[in-house]
Amino acid sequence: MIVIEFLIILLLISIFAGVFGSIVGLGGGVVIIPALTLLLGVNVHFAIGASIVSIIGTSSGAASVYVKDKMTNLRVGMFLELATTSGAIAGAAFAAYVNSSALELIFGSILLVTLIPTVMKIGEDIPKNPELKGLSKRLALTGSYPEPDGSVVSYNATRPKTGLFGMVIAGMLSGLLGIGSGAFKVVSMDVAMKLPMKVSTTTSNFMIGVTAAASAGIYFARGDVNPLIVAPVALGILIGAALGARVLKRSRNPTIRKIFIVVLAVAAIEMILSAEGIAV
Amino acid sequence: MNLKDPETMNEVVGNVLRFGVLTSAAVILIGTVLLVAASGSSGISSSLTYNPNQIPHGTFDVSLSGLANGLVGFQPYSLIELGVIILLATPVSRVLISVFLFAAEGDRLYVYITAVVLALLLFSILATPFISVFNA
Repeated sequence: MIVIEFLIILLLISIFAGVFGSIVGLGGGVVIIPALTLLLGVNVHFAIGASIVSIIGTSSGAASVYVKDKMTNLRVGMFLELATTSGAIAGAAFAAYVNSSALELIFGSILLVTLIPTVMKIGEDIPKNPELKGLSKRLALTGSYPEPDGSVVSYNATRPKTGLFGMVIAGMLSGLLGIGSGAFKVVSMDVAMKLPMKVSTTTSNFMIGVTAAASAGIYFARGDVNPLIVAPVALGILIGAALGARVLKRSRNPTIRKIFIVVLAVAAIEMILSAEGIAV
Repeated sequence: MNLKDPETMNEVVGNVLRFGVLTSAAVILIGTVLLVAASGSSGISSSLTYNPNQIPHGTFDVSLSGLANGLVGFQPYSLIELGVIILLATPVSRVLISVFLFAAEGDRLYVYITAVVLALLLFSILATPFISVFNA
């Protein structure tokens, strides 16, 4: 295969990854890693390096739209980033001492289990608005966002400590396995904090850039960020994220949830397969 | 621009992200175009034929001096690396600017929260590659 073909194939795959990653708040790693390793035969280290770049690209590219449109809750994001960044550093410190196959099997199974509460809420448009009290009130974890029909939805977050705990786990997983772990972030905000689905996915999208950036230094220094591979990935992801952000704005919460459930199932299965030695 | 208005924060953070993303994309695009253009000349065409086994792990220069030299020489790989570094710096800049925006809003609690996130982030990016526990 000549380089130009490789670049074009990877660009197209990355556009696809950017569209879905930006809508569901997971970044593009779910698509990029298996495409690189299984389809193009790229070394798994380069694939993870490219995945980190794809997550930062999806996050920043889509967030530039979501933040201006007030979909993302900046305070919820900043508060939870306390947990994801400290979790990521702790995870990175332990990465050499744990069996990554066992971890992937455990977390892949946990992801499959988290499908249940997410599926139970299928069809939910706007969650019942809990009263703003306690820590959520002190931290001002509240907001409102516009729906495509022009109405404005107000919401309050609940159970911030449970959400924070979920984010420590998500952060540790990022540090241990080099993934964005957006799935745990979305589920924590959706199930524990009862935020509307769009707010959960766009706030997760906002946060994964910081989580991925936290571990990027190590991958960069190791030489895992290969320019030939990350160039088409970064360009494609940025195009895809811009497209995905426009799709999300026009969609309603139940649609976003259905897409999320499919991507979550794929992510869980990929992680379990990876534990079994299939490089995805 | 009224810094006390919470909407200002969304505007500024959105603009920072957009600026970072567009600059990064432009630099990476220039690097990629130069790379493809260079592949036309016969001298390097064979090395640019893609074969996963021909891209051994970690053989390209990741040092800052290597990057600087490459940029002076307008090397495609170095330009792409610079673009990736700009992309990486984008979420960091977003956190940095948020510290000041929360301060301007008078929200002291979030100034502290954001400052801690920034410190953790900078530690993780700049310090962990040099600490052996993180590289075992």
